Amino acid sequence: MPTRRSLLSPVRSDAARTVPQRDTPFDDPKARFQAGLFGMWLFLATLAVLFVSAILGYVVVRVDNGDGFIPANAPAPPSILLASTVLLVVSSATMQRAANAGRRGDPAQGGMMLVTIALALGFLAIQAVAWRQWVTQGVLVADNLYAWTFYVLTGMHAAHVLGGLPAMAITAVKAARAAYTPDNHRGIVYCAMYWHFLDGAWIVLYATLWFGSLR
Amino acid sequence: MTTLDTRPIHDEVPGNYLTFRRGLLSWLLTLDHKRIGVMYLVAVLVSFFVGGVMALLVRTKLLWPGEVSWMTADEYNKAFTLHGAIMVFLVIIPSIPGALGNFVLPIMLGAKDVAFPRLNLFSFYLWVLGAACAVYSLLAGGFDTGWTFYTPYSSQFGAGGTIPVLVGVFILGFSSIFTGVNFIVTIHKLRPPGMTWFRMPLFLWALYATAVIQVLATPVLGITVAMLVIERAFNIGIFDPAMGGDPVLFQHFFWFYSHPAVYIMILPGMGIISEIIAVHSHRHIFGFRFIAFSSIAIAIFSFLVWGHHMFTSGQSPLMNVLFSAITFSVAIPSAVKVFNWLATLYKGSISLNTAMWYGLAFIFLFTIGGLTGIPLAVLSTDIHLHDTYFVVAHFHYVMMGSALIAMIGGLHHWWPKMFGVMFNETWGKIACALVFIGFNMTFFTQFMLGSQGMPRRYYLYQPEFQIYHHISTGGSYIMGLGFLITAIYLIHSLFAGKKAPANPWGGASLEWQCTSPPPHDNFATTPRVGDCYDFSAVSWDEKKQGYVVDAEAHVAAAHHGKGH
Repeated sequence: MPTRRSLLSPVRSDAARTVPQRDTPFDDPKARFQAGLFGMWLFLATLAVLFVSAILGYVVVRVDNGDGFIPANAPAPPSILLASTVLLVVSSATMQRAANAGRRGDPAQGGMMLVTIALALGFLAIQAVAWRQWVTQGVLVADNLYAWTFYVLTGMHAAHVLGGLPAMAITAVKAARAAYTPDNHRGIVYCAMYWHFLDGAWIVLYATLWFGSLR
Repeated sequence: MTTLDTRPIHDEVPGNYLTFRRGLLSWLLTLDHKRIGVMYLVAVLVSFFVGGVMALLVRTKLLWPGEVSWMTADEYNKAFTLHGAIMVFLVIIPSIPGALGNFVLPIMLGAKDVAFPRLNLFSFYLWVLGAACAVYSLLAGGFDTGWTFYTPYSSQFGAGGTIPVLVGVFILGFSSIFTGVNFIVTIHKLRPPGMTWFRMPLFLWALYATAVIQVLATPVLGITVAMLVIERAFNIGIFDPAMGGDPVLFQHFFWFYSHPAVYIMILPGMGIISEIIAVHSHRHIFGFRFIAFSSIAIAIFSFLVWGHHMFTSGQSPLMNVLFSAITFSVAIPSAVKVFNWLATLYKGSISLNTAMWYGLAFIFLFTIGGLTGIPLAVLSTDIHLHDTYFVVAHFHYVMMGSALIAMIGGLHHWWPKMFGVMFNETWGKIACALVFIGFNMTFFTQFMLGSQGMPRRYYLYQPEFQIYHHISTGGSYIMGLGFLITAIYLIHSLFAGKKAPANPWGGASLEWQCTSPPPHDNFATTPRVGDCYDFSAVSWDEKKQGYVVDAEAHVAAAHHGKGH
């Protein structure tokens, strides 16, 4: 007969205390990496849907309102955004170089990560300057939908850059110690995937805003 | 007779995931999918209680057609909004994947955990954070927009707690997305050797289809509520018609997520029913591939029917016709499942356990819920029924009568596995009967109310509707009593329940082949798998007071193509 036993009966396996928590079900690091790559692709698919729906929302109100969407005397998106675009594209290239170096276990990974982060900060600084330019020209977020969509969409992208920076920083610290090796370079590769995505998303977003600002 | 190599080797060894580590922190910081599943379960059931109390308050107010002294119209609006938002975002969406899915999915795969245990814990804490936002919004004045947050009411009016709850919904969305990512990768990368897609339990097919929707639809909700928050904060936005925005765009965005979300809620429930019906009938599931593919078909259709929530919104007649037509087609995969479950029952050796009672209740209630969707998909009748109690009744039959009943059924099905104890079957059946009777009293009357024109969400109503409201409210009390009894005997079983055997119901999928409760690692070595719906190698063992699976015969049968 099965015995009655409470769930809370005081049995414990003390051996378990010394075992660190298992943070992956994969025994084989390669399988773990493959799973991670797949997971990153799914995550990027989610983000892609997020950006596409935001852009779609913009397109709907832009098309609905015709050229009346753009108020008289409203400026085009600041041309300084071209410079930030260049910075972001270059940072994507340096990020890839960092990831490649990580894959080889090459100590150049640390330097390349630092350059990437510097470029990312430069990108954010220019975005801030662009916002400031519009603000000083008196184009404020609550004025009209033309301004609102500009601030919201560029802000959404900047938030994703900003949100990526802590992970980038951790990766850079590890890369500075040349922690990424041919056997383990998951983190730096995931970073690169995210970064390329933000690069592509920005180009699409900027192109959309630019075309939208044409009468 | 050989059994699978599990650790501990025999039932009397006490080490299991519950006793593996001790102390509160060992729970709060756990990466074990089973413990995370249990934490989700507790969190979801607490939310279910709060949402249920709100429902009872709303129903109690509706005993009277006029004003009542103890609940103003504003408070009433807040109560039904809170009920809806809690039940959708905090209970039904996370309940089956978060609680039962987390617990069962890796074990069904013979894996040690989900693909990303840290991400899994992160999902849970996102849920907690989202719930905290909802609680905060109550302190900030509550929210009264209805769970659908329609603009311009939500963007320009609405109670003071609207922004916090929208932030909460945003966060809960990402909790759901990360669970989806985790499950998709786990199912792709951690199936054991021999478990082809067509050997995979149907619950996992359902969770997979659900996860695809979670990953691809939820971000649309995220961006929508984010834009709504910004719009509310700046008093301008793309949903604001005064500035050239489009409030109907909000409805498109909202339903582009929230219709698929209906399937996020129901698909896992259908998966559970496939398990319950097969195991408790001791009969191979009928039409495995049809059920499996119908889950995928439903997931695909789910993205193409959102406009049926908007037939009266002024969208073009052509759009209405297309959305109506595609909506009808959802009936096909849904009915495929129902027919296959019925065919599985036919000539099955049915054990009328509590879980099976819930399974049968599901089939009955889901059939009503599904069929009453048809008059809502027909354009002409929908004009009459739109925003009436008919809609309320319809979606409660699907969301509660189906999704939640499946969740409760699944809870009973896997309870012995999760906690290693048996609950009282007699009380289980009494409670199930009360819930079933109470549910039908509550909501069948609402079909009548709605078809006679009683609008949803109204505080005051015409006196001639009062008799229906009385029956409905009475039913809700019976249902509440049923759930109360359920809570009592389940909690009682934790302390005084009979020890559960590894396999109390006679299942053949992998989770029944490890001990109850499972050991920390689930399986010491990756198990070999047979056909999880082939019960020919399952037999009753008097000594263990449970079923045993002859693993060798089970696997061999699958390899020889038997049992199909």
